[in-house]
Amino acid sequence: MKRFIHFNARSVEQAVSLLNRFQGRAEFIAGGTDLLGKMKDRILPRYPEAVINLKTIPGLDFIRSEAEGGVTIGALTRLEDIAAHPLIKEKFTALAQAAGRTASPHIREMGTLAGNLCQDIRCWYYRTPENRFPCLRKGGGRCYAIEGDNRYHSIFGGTVEEGCYAVHPSDTAPALTALQARIRTSKRVIAIDDFFEIGVTKTTALDFDEIVLEIFLPEPGEGCRSAFLKFALRKSIDFPIVNCAVAVTLKGWRIVQARICLNAVHVRPYRSIEAEEALLGKPLTDETAEMAGNLAVAGARPLKHNAYMVQISRAMVKRTLLSCTS
Amino acid sequence: MNDEISRMQEMLDNLGADRYPEVAFKHIGKKGPRRVDGLHKASGQADYTMDVRLPGMLFLRFLTSPYPHAKILRMDTSRAEGLPGVRGILRYDDPGLPPAVDLAGHVPAAEIVLPEIVHFQGQECGAAVCADSEEVAEEALGLIDIEWEVRPFVLEAEEALKPEAPLANPEVFTWGNHYNEMLLGEAYTDIKKGDVVAGFAEADKIVEFRSQRRLHTWIGPERPCGVFRWNGDGVEVWVKQQRPHVAKRVIASWFGGIPMNKIQIHCLYQGASFGGWSQVNWNLGPMYCAAVLAKRTGRPVKWVFTRREDFFGGEMDEGAYYLKVGARKDGTITAVEGRAVLANQQWPVFHFLKHLVENTRIPNLYGKFLTVMVNKGPNVPTRCEQNANTHTQTLVFDHIANALNLDPTEVALKNDGAFGHDTVWLDQHKVDRGFPVRDSLKECIEKGKRAIDWDRKWHPPGTKKMPNGRLHGLAFTFAHEWDDSGGSSEMAIRLERNDGTASILGMGSDNGVDAENSYCLIAADELGMKLEDVHYNPRFDPGFFRMTPDSSTNMAVNGFAVRNAARILKRQILEAAVAPVAQTQRGSFPAFFPEAKAEDLDIKDSIIFLRKDPTKRVSLAELVGPSRSAGPMTDNENLGMRTPFSVPLFAYGYHVQDGTYHPEHIYTKFCRQAHFMEVEVDPETGEVIVTKVVNVNDVGKAINPMSCHGQQYGGTYMGVGRGLTEEVIYDPVTGVMLNGNLLDYKIAGMLDIDGPIDTLLVETGMGYGPYGVVGIGEDIGTVIPALLGPAVFNAIGVRVDDFPITPDKILKALGKG
Amino acid sequence: MPERSEGTERFHCPYCQKHQESFEALKNHVLTEHRMETVPEPEGLIRLTVNGEVRSIRVEAEWTLYQVIHDRLGLTGAKMFCDRGACGSCTVIMNGRAVLSCMTLAIECDGAIIKTVEGVAAEHPGLIEKYAEHHAMQCGYCTPGFVVTAKALLDKNENPSEREIREALAGNLCRCGTYPQHPIAVLDFVRQQKTAGSTDLGSENQEGKNR
Repeated sequence: MKRFIHFNARSVEQAVSLLNRFQGRAEFIAGGTDLLGKMKDRILPRYPEAVINLKTIPGLDFIRSEAEGGVTIGALTRLEDIAAHPLIKEKFTALAQAAGRTASPHIREMGTLAGNLCQDIRCWYYRTPENRFPCLRKGGGRCYAIEGDNRYHSIFGGTVEEGCYAVHPSDTAPALTALQARIRTSKRVIAIDDFFEIGVTKTTALDFDEIVLEIFLPEPGEGCRSAFLKFALRKSIDFPIVNCAVAVTLKGWRIVQARICLNAVHVRPYRSIEAEEALLGKPLTDETAEMAGNLAVAGARPLKHNAYMVQISRAMVKRTLLSCTS
Repeated sequence: MNDEISRMQEMLDNLGADRYPEVAFKHIGKKGPRRVDGLHKASGQADYTMDVRLPGMLFLRFLTSPYPHAKILRMDTSRAEGLPGVRGILRYDDPGLPPAVDLAGHVPAAEIVLPEIVHFQGQECGAAVCADSEEVAEEALGLIDIEWEVRPFVLEAEEALKPEAPLANPEVFTWGNHYNEMLLGEAYTDIKKGDVVAGFAEADKIVEFRSQRRLHTWIGPERPCGVFRWNGDGVEVWVKQQRPHVAKRVIASWFGGIPMNKIQIHCLYQGASFGGWSQVNWNLGPMYCAAVLAKRTGRPVKWVFTRREDFFGGEMDEGAYYLKVGARKDGTITAVEGRAVLANQQWPVFHFLKHLVENTRIPNLYGKFLTVMVNKGPNVPTRCEQNANTHTQTLVFDHIANALNLDPTEVALKNDGAFGHDTVWLDQHKVDRGFPVRDSLKECIEKGKRAIDWDRKWHPPGTKKMPNGRLHGLAFTFAHEWDDSGGSSEMAIRLERNDGTASILGMGSDNGVDAENSYCLIAADELGMKLEDVHYNPRFDPGFFRMTPDSSTNMAVNGFAVRNAARILKRQILEAAVAPVAQTQRGSFPAFFPEAKAEDLDIKDSIIFLRKDPTKRVSLAELVGPSRSAGPMTDNENLGMRTPFSVPLFAYGYHVQDGTYHPEHIYTKFCRQAHFMEVEVDPETGEVIVTKVVNVNDVGKAINPMSCHGQQYGGTYMGVGRGLTEEVIYDPVTGVMLNGNLLDYKIAGMLDIDGPIDTLLVETGMGYGPYGVVGIGEDIGTVIPALLGPAVFNAIGVRVDDFPITPDKILKALGKG
Repeated sequence: MPERSEGTERFHCPYCQKHQESFEALKNHVLTEHRMETVPEPEGLIRLTVNGEVRSIRVEAEWTLYQVIHDRLGLTGAKMFCDRGACGSCTVIMNGRAVLSCMTLAIECDGAIIKTVEGVAAEHPGLIEKYAEHHAMQCGYCTPGFVVTAKALLDKNENPSEREIREALAGNLCRCGTYPQHPIAVLDFVRQQKTAGSTDLGSENQEGKNR
């Protein structure tokens, strides 16, 4: 890797102050599995002058059950610890499953929850070394995927203003969406539905100097079950082609609340409100799950090479819903 | 001893069964021994060229092209030269560079060391920078300013054939992008046997189809790399090359000639090659640059490719196939006609219908084979050059068996044969060449059918839905075994002083096939030694030219060389045991067995004994005696040693094995292989789950069964990756590679086969190697990718003749994509 | 080699050039005297415990842990295969976790307790024996990464099922396709450990307790 200056931040304030000092020419690092790949490949138009380590900030690696219900997970908590945590497995199943299916066992020992949530896109044009494709997300003029090979790109259109079709690759993001997470940052609390905001060089609503501190998951209501499924070409290592997380609350046989979130199919995690609403008041059966799957992809507008993702999304919604019944 | 040598010479250019007398196998064929290299490798101590660091070493990196087709018009390296830590830059226009030089390709040909014209994105070109560290070299590359002439390019073979296609290499292929027929002529492009028109007229059923194989590549875990150091007027070279002997020969031709005896080759363990980079024509181009810069800087220079740089190039089966098959109702194939347009083959001599010639009785064949240049990396044998053939044979048989509603295993047996002849002819051939007469294909199929429970599980395509909603598929394919290229080899064995252990000597090159153990097993059995007393060091060049342990020919060539050396050495040992020891001017010591003749003795467990009275015994350690500096008599008298310094015990063996690559050559192969696969296809996602694989290989004779099984399950994993997920993907608009990393290029991992792999061996003794062996290293990884086609078809009832068979294609075939 | 053992090293403050007696003292000095939040730390000096030995090493910020272990410490068992965190060949155990040394900045590993394949082999020659016996390797390049990952699993779970072994090793790529042999080798090793009466596989790992 090219040279840079490195700081071990001792506090959130120090990390922010360091970042501000470098005026956008510094990067935060936590697990590092995303950032270092980008730096090794020199894909960014401007290589960071400084890297600020957040792992040295004390008190951000924890899973805490709250007295008033719910659980709070520190930003630096490793995915493997989340996947193996008994309480998360029991009450926030979708998140445990998502964390347990992210990347490979090694990456899960390194990668943090906040890092997974804030990770950059995997579009292969964006990621080609040496900034070979100076695309929209790097401040360039166009999206190369539209004319090029878009087999893993968005089936629900691009960002409105910029036209980028790179999907959001996180496995935990849809789980946190289904579970209605709230993200506390160094500046504020953001609801998960407002967290993903796509722009040039950004995938979240965070200000450039804002740091995720912890993620709060509200106590699931009675009768609420959640699940996560992932479709990828390989059983390990791979990013999703499509993943899906759902949280369904049943009262008796009736669905009283449903949250359905697909990911890797759109520039941000894709919630299907239509499918959610259509399920209300209905039982959870093969038929209703299939209906939800159909509704979830009703708005799909696939590109030249990715129509298959529509079908997979449909199946994933159905199956994830049904896996809540087992 | 002369008998042994003349017997060895009789077997050269071997076209028949091994005619040596049998030995009792104590070690050969046993599963017991652990790998010779096992502790070394698993403990992390094993050294690879990537790990080499020498005092004062510099690091060399290459400029690579951002364009698929371009020419350097002007290059300014001054900024790079000024970067601290840069120790030398070699430019394409350096007056010290020869116009072209042999760079150790699969086919000897002069190549440009540092091209100024590039033919694929990512090609090393223009400049090589050596610096104190890889990072500095890389930074310096970024400081080179280049003005490019960017040229039009073409990426797909069939596109490149169109008249309006741009020329991919206008300086060399001035006439168009197709080249094998222009360079080699019809003997290599056309296969014509019988009369296909008449053959199709006889057929009850004719099927025609098109299939496609997309580019996939080798992925050697250790990247291409090497180190060059000048030692006075000699050189020392670390090569990651599966053919170090080729590298040595080529290096000797550089710089006006370097004597062979001043070239020291270090070929450490190799993080696998699978052919691949080792066979690219330019594969020693980086080494040449390293040599020049090492000379100029007076320091050792190490070059290493990036992982991405190792992605350019791939297997030789990339392209499109058009096939037509006719058969009678009973499954007898009457004619096959085919046309294939394949991309970038650097070695375009292997016809895609050759398997149908060599292992079927199909009387009428016509095949047209075109190779076409496109602006992607060079395609070379990758695990094996025969992927195009296994692809063709598997699909031809599966398509016609299905069209006739016949069990594919029966169709295979119906058409087994060779060169258009049936098995009666084949059996006569076995007799004529001294082989046992066994029906290899039948034995393989029967064994495999039992293992996969074929008769119970076989069903028509698209008819079996599992309780879990997935579609069940079962498939079979077959081929002959191939020790494809033949070769030649010389190896030696010497008994070490002091303890009488045996060292097998031959140029090192370890690719992981456990050749070391196999040599030791042979030598131990032939010499009558304990296995632990025999050793082969694969990381050493003692000067003996050993055939590479790859291309499946290891045992068929090197096995002979070791075996011959062992036989001669054994004779030497026994003769030494009956001759007076250490005849010097001051007298001699009596023989260990003064009354006996060599024939009266034998060796067992490293002990020489008198056959008729085994209590009369001498260990090999006693026979060879100690290594000491003093003269024989004094040492003996003073120390009471029984053995003075005596005759060195050392013998060589060599072998030349006939090859198959002459287009007219009839080289009948008798051993067969059969593979069975069970899959479940998820009709809603297009996912393919491989739930069981059965590999049955007739290996002739298994010298080292664990190694055979390793090639089977290993090849199966590689094959499943190649068939389902592996594809090198280029941007159609810019010609830039999009997935040159191991995340986006997907080789199979631990969980990507979800079920058992049964690895079964058949031993008919019908191979041309020693003891009747054939090599199987290239077989399984080459056959399994094609087998996924029939397996998926049997599951979903619709053809996806487009490899890799990814979910998008399956869903499309099912009308859901 | 740039590394120096503890005790022989003078700890220089990079800002005022004053010497300190220990690394801890230097850290404290920089924190209190130089308001370190505004300037780089005395980076470059990290202390690792590698296979039980304490090593103080001066590193550059951009060096990965792989570079330090492989190139500086000469522990070449960690192998460079993918260089992007996708293959597991460079795995080491750090503070009880199997991590990818190619995707870890060395400068962030100060104080870490690390075990490489060399350390695993020294601790468990029996595991290496089983790997050799069952041919759980071909070219051998990726093998150390499997061995280290398997050891990390055994530290957490001394009696893993075949499925658990397969899942733990799912992030290690082997191009030769030796996958079926790894669970066999590991299970055989576990079985042997059990019959030998040594059931405290985990406790031998005195370094990796801070999970």
